[in-house]
Formats: sequence, C-alpha cells, structure tokens
Amino acid sequence: MADYDEESVSELESYDSDDELQSAFNKGELKPGLNYQTRAPKQYTNNTVAIDEKLNSIQSNLDWIERVDITLESKNTNNETDAVTDDDNDDLMHNDFKRELKFYQQAQSAVLVALPRIRKLGILTKRPDDYFAEMAKSDEHMRKVRQKLLGKQLAMERSEKAKKLRELRKYGKQVQREVLQKRQKEKKELLDSVKKFRKGQKDKLEFANRNIEAPSNFKGKPKKISQPQGKPKPNPKRVYKDQKFGLGGSKKRSKSNTADSAANVSDFKSSKHSYGTGPKFNRRNTNKKKNRRHGKIRREKTRVKARR
Amino acid sequence: MAKRKGTTEQSQNKVKKLKKSRSLSKKVPRERNSTSTSTEGLLKKRKWINKTRVLIFCSRGISYRGRHLMNDLRRLMPHSKPDVKMEKKDGLFLVNEICEIKNCNKVIYFEAKKKKDLYMWIANSPNGPSAKFLIENLHTMDELKMTGNCLKGSRPILSFDSSFGGEPHYALLKEVFTQIFSTPYHHPKSQPFVDHVYTFSVGDNRIWFRNYQIVEEDGSLAEVGPRFVLNLIKIFGGSFIGPTLYENPHYKSPNEQRRDLKREASLRYQNRIQSKAVLDQRREQSKDTSYKMDTTDEVFFTIKPEDAEGLAKSTFYRKK
Repeated sequence: MADYDEESVSELESYDSDDELQSAFNKGELKPGLNYQTRAPKQYTNNTVAIDEKLNSIQSNLDWIERVDITLESKNTNNETDAVTDDDNDDLMHNDFKRELKFYQQAQSAVLVALPRIRKLGILTKRPDDYFAEMAKSDEHMRKVRQKLLGKQLAMERSEKAKKLRELRKYGKQVQREVLQKRQKEKKELLDSVKKFRKGQKDKLEFANRNIEAPSNFKGKPKKISQPQGKPKPNPKRVYKDQKFGLGGSKKRSKSNTADSAANVSDFKSSKHSYGTGPKFNRRNTNKKKNRRHGKIRREKTRVKARR
Repeated sequence: MAKRKGTTEQSQNKVKKLKKSRSLSKKVPRERNSTSTSTEGLLKKRKWINKTRVLIFCSRGISYRGRHLMNDLRRLMPHSKPDVKMEKKDGLFLVNEICEIKNCNKVIYFEAKKKKDLYMWIANSPNGPSAKFLIENLHTMDELKMTGNCLKGSRPILSFDSSFGGEPHYALLKEVFTQIFSTPYHHPKSQPFVDHVYTFSVGDNRIWFRNYQIVEEDGSLAEVGPRFVLNLIKIFGGSFIGPTLYENPHYKSPNEQRRDLKREASLRYQNRIQSKAVLDQRREQSKDTSYKMDTTDEVFFTIKPEDAEGLAKSTFYRKK
C-alpha cells in the first residue's frame, strides 16, 4: 500500500521525501506499525513476441492431410456481447450437460467440415464393413459397455412401467370413488323425495315419473310407504334410555335405595354365589368318570413307583 | 547415463517380446477380394513423410488413473513410443536424452507428485517449446459410460475451439497439439480411415479434451474417451528448459487449493464467534442510544490509511 522505495517517490510529488521522513521520524510522528511494506503483485509472464517467434519456428510446411486439424471460427466478435458471453461461459462450464453439449457440437461441426474436405482429396473416410482390424477397446470391454447400457435401459423400462401402473391404480381408485359417490347421491335423493312424499309435501314421487324402473329396483321401501300413516314410532333406543335413566321429574332421590329396593332380592342367584353348586360343579360331577387324570402329586408318585 | 541406456535397452527388448507375443484378434487379411480394392490400393502406395514419433511415458509414483490415461494415449496414437517410468530425482532435462535415444521428437511426459497430483508435460524435444499442465477431471477410456469405440490406429480429426485462433499462447499450444496428436498420414501402424475426433476447447481458463467416435458421417458421435482437463501452468521456450514464454495467471496449484480449503475450514469457527460478538455489541449499542446523525459529520471522520478497506481505500490514502 505504502511503499517508500526510492523509485516510488516521484520528483513532482515529493510529499514524503527521505528528508521529510527522517525529520518526521525524529519528531516521533512515525511509529512502527503505521506503515508497512506489501509484497508487489506477482508479474505473470506473457511474452507474446517470443511466443510468435517460437510458433513460426516450429510451424511445419506439411499438407493439411498430415494434420487434419480444424479450428472453428468464433461466432461473436463484437465486444458488447462479450461480457454477457463471459458470464454465460462460466455458467456453461459448470453445467455438465450444457458443457458436454458444447463439446459435442464443436466436434460435430468439425466433422462436418473435415470429412468432405478429406473426401475431396480422394481419401476414404469410412471403413468397409468387411474390413476388420483391432479396435481401441476390446470386444470384452464393449460387451461390458453393452451390458451396462442394456441394464440401464431395462431399469428405465421397469421404472416407467411401475410409474404407469401406479398412475393407473390412482385413476382407477378415483373412478371407483366417483361411482360410489354418485350411487350414494342418487340414493339420498331418492330417500329425500320419498320422505317428502310421505309427509305429503309432494303430490307424487318424482322418481316415478323420471324413471319407471326405479320402484321395481327399490324393493324394501315401497312397503313402508304403503303402511298406514299416523304418528311415527319413537326410537326404541331412546325409549330404553328414558326408562333407564329417567325422563323428566326430579332425579335427586330416584336413584337412592328405598325399603322396597333393599328388600328386593330377586336378582340374587344362589348358584352364582355358593361354592359347590352352579353349572361348573354340576358339569364336573356329571363328567367325573370321563376325567381319569389325577392330580400332579399323585401322578408323580405313581410315576416313581413305576420306575422302581 | 550408462545405467539409463541399459534400462532403455531392456525396455526395447520388452517391447519386442510384447510385439511377438501379442497377436491381433482379427488380423487384416493381406489378400482381399475385389470389394475392397480401393483400400488395398491405399495400403500399397505408402508415402510416409511425416516421421513424427511421440514418446509417452511417466514418472515413478504415478497413480493408477494416470497410468491408465497414459496407456489409453499410447493405444490411440500409433506413432507413440513407450518407455519405462522415470526416476523423479533424475531431473527433467534427462527427458530430452531419452527422446534422442528413442528417436522421438515429441514428448508427452506425465509427472506425478504427492501420489495424487498429475502433471502433463508436452514438448518438442530438442529445441522446444514445452508446456506444463495440471491434469484435472480425468476419465479414462476404460470407463463404461464411454460407449464409443474406434479403430486402434485410425487417424483422428483435431477440432479446436475458436479461442485457439486468438491469443498467441493458445495458437502456439494448438500447433504443438496438432503436431503431437495428429497421426502421420500413411504411418505403417495406422489405419487409413478417419473415425474419431479429438476436441480441444477452452473454457474456464482450461483446455478440455474429448475424444469422440464418428458413428455416422452425418455427424452423430459417441464418446470414446479418455477425457481430461488441462490447466496450463507455464510455457517454456526450450524443451523442459529455457525462458518462460507464458505463465497462466489463473493457475492455482493443488497445494494452494488444499491449503485454502483448510484455512477456510479453520477460520469457520473464528468467523462465527467473531460475527456473533459483533452482533451482540451492535445490539447493545443500538438498544438505548439511537439518534439521528448528521450525515455531514462524516466529513470530519478520518481513519488511518492502513485501516481503510474496500471503497474507503480511495478516500483515505497517504499522499506521496
């Protein structure tokens, strides 16, 4: 940043000349750490003259066919687009697909230029089908490559198939759901209309007009319709609950025992509460002869006796 | 030097033995039917003018990938000659002597360092120029994703990017590349057909190499491999010696790259702590004192030029 070499101090602008620096140092204005020397930026050699000379010296005067090189001409030469293309270039080089495509296109255009040129010189470019020679890659290697390609293709096909199946299943489910919903909706509509008809809100059933076959399909309900109409029956579940928990009236003492309830022993079943009676014991008594197996201790005793 | 000669002789013997033992899986028949008289004619009138021979070899301590790349290049280039691995302590200038012994005027020398970094030298042997590259993103021909295949000794088309026509160092590199990679016409070991393309393209200040097979003549291609990226380091006037003609300003050595990565990793904790402290401080400050500042007050605010950073550098500097 601040170099105080003799060369860097110019004559015109000698603000920090050696004398001044020395005087400043004597006054104590200069302190260590205030100024420091930085390394000069590295100079990169680019000796274009020598490079051109070298190029001229090594250039051979052989025919093009000895070299078969193609240099593509640059497509954009104007400077305005350069900035943009630089940015694009950076992106291009970091995108694998784009980069490889670029190389591919370059190779392709070179081929398209070179091959006609070679052919014009009367030289074969394509080898005949019956011309066999050693290849750069062995047959074994190419077999492996083919296998891998095949494997990849198979995997892709399999995944595609699975995907299709999954989609199909999804679609099928959707269709099924739609059908079910439609059926349910129809049923609901029908029931509604029947209800309305029953209540006398409607003069006639709509579905009867709309679809003559509907009553014949709908077997259970018409009987009910034909039943005599009066007050609808209360819900039996409700009735039972009302009976059990009480409906209306004070609930305060209804659940506590009374003299009658305490004396009521009709629920008591002696068979449940006395040992030696009841179904279990009865069964045992009746099946006594069938069960010949003794208790464990007795069995063990007999076993010991038998061994002796 | 005598020892060196011994080793090269041994290697030559080895090569001869190999040649004897190696038999082509499908040989080119000498006598062919009338269907391919044209090719026969081509084979007969041999006019092998360009006697370029390229020495391809490597230093000791090369990784398997580098070795595979070397072998791929040897296989693709019928005008190449192999040699045994070179001791690193021998010094690079010895390469020129090996070239002389091997009758080669071009060299591709792979130099391995630290068992992980691969450098490639290309040179015109007796009197330059030579260039040193760092090889990055290396994929060999053995990889199964490269689906193409080409004849073993067929001649390639060399395709160069438009930037090879621009800057002088690229032009020089282009010339060297063409002289090294193009198979001489009528070379005895070559096949008389053109069925693959080498592309050299510049991007990201590097040279990208690809090798494609020409599947159909209308321009459909398949990659054969190998593929690699050359990061130019320097161009020298002589062969492995001489004045530096060009130095790549964008080049960063792998050591530097690794060091930077490590440093970044080591600074991560410090940065976090520091930024947290600064944030706390700022919060503390702005908690109770926030008042309007007169923007013109800034005029009286000065700092030491050494402390200036970024844009402030242009405001605070010491007069010379």
